[in-house]
Amino acid sequence: MDKIQGNTLSRRTGNEPMTHHIPPPAVAVLKGSQLNNNKTKSVKALGASMFMNSNKAKELPHGGEFWGKPMSKLETLLYRTLLVILYISYGLFRYGQYQYNKMKLRILNVIYNPASTPQLIRQDVRKLEKIPKRIAAILEMKPVGFVGGGLKGLLNDGSEIVCWTVSAGIKHLMLYDYDGILQKNVSEFQTEIENKLTQYYGPGNVPNYAIKIPHSNKIYYNNHAEKTDDDENNKKAGKIAIEVSLLSNRDGRETIVDLTKTMADLCSNNELKLSDITLQLVDSELVHLVGKEPDLLLYFGPALDLQGFPPWQIRLTEFYWETDNNEVTYSVFIRGLKQYAGCKINVGK
Amino acid sequence: MFKAVLEVQIKWLFMLVKEIKHLVFRTIHNVKQHLTNFLFSLPIFVWFHKKTQLLLIKILSVAQVPEHVSFIMDGNRRYAKSRNLPLNKGHEAGGVTLLTLAYICKKIGVKCVSAYAFSIENFNRSKEEVDTLMELFSAKLDEFAKRAIDYRDPLYGSRLKVVGDHSLISKELRDKIYKVEQLTTDGSDFTFYVCFPYTARNDIYHTMYNFIANPEPEKEKSEELTIEKFTSQMYLREFSNKCDLLIRTSGHNRFSDYMLWQTHENGTIEFCNTFWPDFGFMGMYMIILKWSFFKTIQKFNEMNFSLKTIWYEGPNSKIQNRYTKLEELPEPPVHVSVLGERE
Repeated sequence: MDKIQGNTLSRRTGNEPMTHHIPPPAVAVLKGSQLNNNKTKSVKALGASMFMNSNKAKELPHGGEFWGKPMSKLETLLYRTLLVILYISYGLFRYGQYQYNKMKLRILNVIYNPASTPQLIRQDVRKLEKIPKRIAAILEMKPVGFVGGGLKGLLNDGSEIVCWTVSAGIKHLMLYDYDGILQKNVSEFQTEIENKLTQYYGPGNVPNYAIKIPHSNKIYYNNHAEKTDDDENNKKAGKIAIEVSLLSNRDGRETIVDLTKTMADLCSNNELKLSDITLQLVDSELVHLVGKEPDLLLYFGPALDLQGFPPWQIRLTEFYWETDNNEVTYSVFIRGLKQYAGCKINVGK
Repeated sequence: MFKAVLEVQIKWLFMLVKEIKHLVFRTIHNVKQHLTNFLFSLPIFVWFHKKTQLLLIKILSVAQVPEHVSFIMDGNRRYAKSRNLPLNKGHEAGGVTLLTLAYICKKIGVKCVSAYAFSIENFNRSKEEVDTLMELFSAKLDEFAKRAIDYRDPLYGSRLKVVGDHSLISKELRDKIYKVEQLTTDGSDFTFYVCFPYTARNDIYHTMYNFIANPEPEKEKSEELTIEKFTSQMYLREFSNKCDLLIRTSGHNRFSDYMLWQTHENGTIEFCNTFWPDFGFMGMYMIILKWSFFKTIQKFNEMNFSLKTIWYEGPNSKIQNRYTKLEELPEPPVHVSVLGERE
């Protein structure tokens, strides 16, 4: 089975095509409105929707009362006017909701403030009945020039999450970002984590961590573990408090297709029997290539947008996000854990 | 001592408040129930209700609507329990809801609706319940087939596809599914996928297996396999690439092994707290309206669309892309240096 992994991995070293993620409508609009004030633009858009051609054919689908009766021009105009009215009233309602949510988030951020102290985080977590074994978070780079934007902001967000996860006592963390920026800047990310952990735990006792990049099959340990040559010492220090895997869009659909290609090649060379290919085999291969299924997935955007997170890995994953939030904050993290503690999982039953 | 007494008192107070809250909610719920029952017994109200729904549907049918809507029908059993009904009543009510919503989607102009009718994991349930579900499914299949070929029916002209791992179900049921699918192959406006028994992992695995088992004859090299090709061979065929809107009822925030491939790129995912049989017209309408509202703005922002262009070039004019090539820009004026040198 090592052969499957090896071949699939070698397949993946090629150049990555630059793709552009198109977020679902709600996310795209809400994120835009938080970055630049485009309320007027939205109102304009609604007005223009009067004239926008919908992609569908003009005619309504056949069947029922509409059968064979295409809408007349006047009728269409009437319905479009009504539609705009409907849109505007919904928009007003949504605006109110948006303000309410923002207020709520501000209050929550005051209530839940870790203040770089692991004790506080542990205290919050100890109140919960159960915590997840592994969690995942979707991060994204905000445009340069905004608060928390650019590469610096992304690294900061990532390392904050690492600190919270360590303090909460969770041992596995997956960090996903669409373009794999964290993967490309591992050394910077490592420095940033080091700095953040020092802030939390003091310079003397930074917890051990490992950064794993499943895509290129590399593992980075923190500096302390490497410095000591002594085996005994290594074992003592080698107890890793957290394992961070960095994922990107490349680990999603493409990996599954790559795996299919590899298996097909091995099959045609008679190195793998067709009857050996089972769901379990595929699952174990994907676990090796990408990682195990996370129990909880946190998203720090305004509405759930999975951005191509590896599909095989989100089977039973619990999702958590805060509506209209657009910042990586501790309150989202701890409230996500709270929701997880309260949920009941019953496979199929 | 005093502290302990106080604690008991406070606890008792909390219990009281909880009890009162519960009672109030109960009463409100009952009153609402009676009121709706009363209103629906009036023919004029029924007429009015129907007309309003029709108007709302027509309004949305001129808007941007999702192409593929998918449902996770969760909460049938809890619905039955909450009303002290037998379990199969809950499932039956769920089936009715599904057909109604499919019909509304079709009218709004949605091209494809899919629903998670039965998960492979559901075979873990008691045999009795599994059998009931199978029977119910078979009955619904007949009903749908009858409606899809009856030209007076709103579901006329829809194509039914039952997808999933059919090796897990009985032969009679398989034959029946085949028959019904054959009956409705003509429908092209609207496709209705029922996932039975299905899991997304099984879907991905099944596609992988098919590619490995039947390599393409003309090109032996598997290098040709692309994501698009892979996607088009999945159970949902041309609708496998994208599910615009996934709705899950009854308050769980997870997929439970459904539509992983279809939604993980950029699908909109909505979770709502009602049980599936209670999820009605208004619930779905608001979700689609919300989607359409944001989609309109997103499209507007993408297209660089302005009222001015409509005014000058008519509503059907082609919308231009914001980006142009350097070569396509108009020529700059002549270059002259300070010394007066010209090119």
